[in-house]
Amino acid sequence: MRRCLAAILGLGVLLLPACTRRATRPGAGTGEVVAYVSEDQVFSQPVLERFERETGIRVRAVYDTEETKSTGVMNRLLAEKDNPQADLYWANEPIRAEVLRQRGVAEPYRSPAAEGLPETFRDPEWHWTGFSARLRVLVVHTPLKGEPPASVMDLADPRWRGRVVLANPLFGTTTSHVAALFVALGDEGARSFLERLKANGVVLSTSNGESADQVAAGQATLSLVDSDDAINRIRRGDALQMIVPDQAPGGLGCFVVPNAVVLVRGGPHPEAARRLADFLLSPQTERQLAEADCAQIPLHAGVPVPPDVPSLATLSVMEVSWAEVAAKMMAIQPELQAWVGS
Amino acid sequence: MSLLELEAVRVVLGGRRILDGIDLAVEEGERVVVLGPSGSGKTTVLRLLAGLAVPAAGRVLVGGRPAAADGRLLIPPEERQVGMVFQDLALWPHLTVAGNLELGLRARGVPRTVRRQRVAEMLELVELGDRARARPGELSGGEQQRVALARALVLRPRALLLDEPLSSLDPPLARRLVGVILRLQERLGLTLVHVTHDREEARALATRTLFLERGRLSG
Amino acid sequence: MALRRIVLSLAVVLLLVAGVLPVAVMAGRSLVVDGRLGLAAYHGLLASSRQWELLGNSLRLAGLVTVAAVALGVPAGLLLGRTDLPGRRALGTLLALPLLLPPSVTAVAWMGAAAPSGPVVRLLGAGASAVLSSFLFGLPGTVLVLATAFAPLVMLLVAAALRSVPPRMEEAGLLVARWPAVLLRVTLPLVAPGVLLAAALVFLMALGEVSVPPTLRYPVFAVESLTRFAAFYDLAAATAAAMPLVALTAAVLGAEALLVRRTRGTTGMESRGAGRALVVPLGRWRRPAAVAAWSLAGLLVGLPLAVLLVRAGGAASYAEALGRAGDALGRSLLLAALGGALLAVVGFLLAVLAWERHGRLWAVPDAVALFLFAVPAAVLGVGLIVTWNRPWANVVYATPLILLLGYLGHFTAVSLRLSRASLELVPAGLVEAARVAGVGWGRRLLWVVAPGAWRGIAAAGLAGAAFCLRDVGMTLLVHPPGWDTLPVRIMTLAANGAPSLIAALSVILVAATLVPVVLLGAVLGRREVLP
Repeated sequence: MRRCLAAILGLGVLLLPACTRRATRPGAGTGEVVAYVSEDQVFSQPVLERFERETGIRVRAVYDTEETKSTGVMNRLLAEKDNPQADLYWANEPIRAEVLRQRGVAEPYRSPAAEGLPETFRDPEWHWTGFSARLRVLVVHTPLKGEPPASVMDLADPRWRGRVVLANPLFGTTTSHVAALFVALGDEGARSFLERLKANGVVLSTSNGESADQVAAGQATLSLVDSDDAINRIRRGDALQMIVPDQAPGGLGCFVVPNAVVLVRGGPHPEAARRLADFLLSPQTERQLAEADCAQIPLHAGVPVPPDVPSLATLSVMEVSWAEVAAKMMAIQPELQAWVGS
Repeated sequence: MSLLELEAVRVVLGGRRILDGIDLAVEEGERVVVLGPSGSGKTTVLRLLAGLAVPAAGRVLVGGRPAAADGRLLIPPEERQVGMVFQDLALWPHLTVAGNLELGLRARGVPRTVRRQRVAEMLELVELGDRARARPGELSGGEQQRVALARALVLRPRALLLDEPLSSLDPPLARRLVGVILRLQERLGLTLVHVTHDREEARALATRTLFLERGRLSG
Repeated sequence: MALRRIVLSLAVVLLLVAGVLPVAVMAGRSLVVDGRLGLAAYHGLLASSRQWELLGNSLRLAGLVTVAAVALGVPAGLLLGRTDLPGRRALGTLLALPLLLPPSVTAVAWMGAAAPSGPVVRLLGAGASAVLSSFLFGLPGTVLVLATAFAPLVMLLVAAALRSVPPRMEEAGLLVARWPAVLLRVTLPLVAPGVLLAAALVFLMALGEVSVPPTLRYPVFAVESLTRFAAFYDLAAATAAAMPLVALTAAVLGAEALLVRRTRGTTGMESRGAGRALVVPLGRWRRPAAVAAWSLAGLLVGLPLAVLLVRAGGAASYAEALGRAGDALGRSLLLAALGGALLAVVGFLLAVLAWERHGRLWAVPDAVALFLFAVPAAVLGVGLIVTWNRPWANVVYATPLILLLGYLGHFTAVSLRLSRASLELVPAGLVEAARVAGVGWGRRLLWVVAPGAWRGIAAAGLAGAAFCLRDVGMTLLVHPPGWDTLPVRIMTLAANGAPSLIAALSVILVAATLVPVVLLGAVLGRREVLP
């Protein structure tokens, strides 16, 4: 028995250095790349696998879970600032990329594939570059009685009192959205909105997906979620309808959240990292993400999309300064904590 | 009518015949000692009488009533009015001395005040009146023996079964315990069945001695 | 003697490095903010009424889970360990399964049961969904899932404790009382230390559990404080948030140890390996007891598993699942095998240390291992990152070694306790005879002790492997890129993954978990299935 155990242990000791050697030699050629990924694994993994097939470069990835979206790999990147393990970060929204830039974790890179991507969805100094976007949309349970909501502000409308569910604004795209509202409406305007929201009996959920599920199940009537949460449930036949908010002329416009690519400063495989970044920013990747169930909106012009995916060209989009929103997001954290906690 | 009887009893353990058709009749008031080498099945004889073991074949009778027959238990141990002292004593470590004695009385629904009184009396009889609140682990070997004896007797059984009670004691302590046992037997009108491998012990206690060897019992 | 000292010290040092060091480093780091020593990171901790409320929620949850797990686990342990209940071996395996699965998988299974499109709702009608959902989401559902997940721990510890009760103790009781009274007044008090230990562990595991409460939407301290502080991207604050859990763990285990010492008094049960355990004949209760036990097991374990099977659907789902996570499954099995082997060896050596009782500190590794088992996995994970995330330590941090270290720190208590129980069955005389014959310590261990205790060592390794396979909390945080395991993959794919995919992955994980469980049954042979 002991001999058997010793054999197993011995085997392990022989096996482990094999993995070790590969991992500890920085810049060991272009054979592999380490990616930290906040975009849902269900959607991002096929993209990374296509990259592996087309380039022969192996991708070693760390993915986020639903619950740890804002705490998992992002914290890991910050914790590893002085000992970088990752080459590239695929953020599912730009605020985190912006925070990484501010903390000195991001390496600027002007990808040739970024030609044709709108300037509004990238860092002016190329620390991060946005691609495939989601919209922040309203979802209502169907069939809906009466007039549908048309604006994010309608979440605070007493007509929906006790029927509104919202993902915890301390996490994920909801945080960015709230921060963007603080920038767009001014602190006072946004605070008053939050107070009216609270007075309206808003229920907090752990994620946008859960919010959408609650609306689909009729536990709530109205919510504010990401367009991918809405579209893939509608494709599944769930009982909900998606409304792109604030499209009236002169209105706020809808909040658009692109994915973002960040190269990690001092990462072990910089060459392969740039190739992966080029790959992610290409029209082909945008097309793949549009056709997948995440139904993301391409930012390159002319990428063909399925009929149920909205097109940016026809939408009124909220103007956003990402650096401002990121700074605002950090500044309002205590306030949001108090709002969630009270 | 005998108080305890074994009729053509056979016991098989792990494919080995421990007892191979033995007969035994113990009369009221007798002091029977079963003498035999280690592993001869002495303890099994006591376990049969107590109801902790069941014969594969043959019958066990208690007070003339069939108590076990051919692999089936007919009278469970707690209804046989038999007390037993185990070789390793098996005092319950989580209970006090008084608690060890009380458990059987409680199970029988004896009221608290009566229980207290009977426990106190019994402890006086074995000269442990002052150790009622001690735990078994705090007692000496001789004291533990007497607690075990008191525990076996507090329910006023008609017969007392002793499994090598003296084997672990020094000669002076053993002599003292023999005195205690004899005194109690006389006072309570007990029937004694005692197994041992020690001839001295047998001589000191027995009114009748039997020999157990290779699964057979002989006078 | 020199060999003995070197080998045993090595085992102790391994445990310290794997488990104690991360917790200590983390505690130290939480005291340094911006290069200055102080309690700044602790400001804001427990500052708002919301946090006190959450702490109240946590204690309420842990208390209820403990009560439910003890109420389920003690009778189950008695039924399996002492009675002639029909099919008790299979029943034991079925009931033990939730302990060996990540609790989040059990939660997902129950959510499938309550889902509007799920099989249960289709069976009971549409109205059932709302009723089931309102029960499942919130405190009752969280208690249900965690109690099913942790009751097996009580069951197994009670069954193990029952084996150490000398049969003579119960026979002495049978002379004066019937079985129910004997069980109540003799058997149960004698296994009380085991029950108490189990209750303390369940309480702490429920307190530190961070995967089920958020899934079932019951806000608790561990989840909110860890994630909320992490929302600031501030490691010092995150580690500070973990400290109350560490302190609580130490306090509960300390209280448990004191209580056991007091109730047990000075006398132990000295007779080692005191013969065959007694069996309580259930008599005419045999059939009703079996029906009740099997129904309960069917409801608590069978139903969620069945829901998973139904939701997973046909071969296509499994094909997709294997395509998506086949590599993770392979890594899970490799890591579990390595972790199990490592745990078996280190656990055995530490058990030898405790068994030989040399020196004054022989009991310390056992207490430390127990503490590390009860510390939340996520806390240990953060500790490992804080400790090993340095350029010179990448040989550990950037490789699976960090996972093995974490498993060793977290699960040594399991293998240590199992090895120790089997060592108690090795007669001291055997070892002494070998010693007198001039056989050195190392050879005595290899030739005499290990062969005598091999079943326990093997069981320790397999149980250790099962725990490694199950871990999410720590693996999620510390796995090197490309080294995620199947339970972690299930968590990451759960974000917008199709329910059928998640169900199929969970079924595959259950099947993989059955490998060590079935091996365990085979190793223990005709003795009871589980340790």
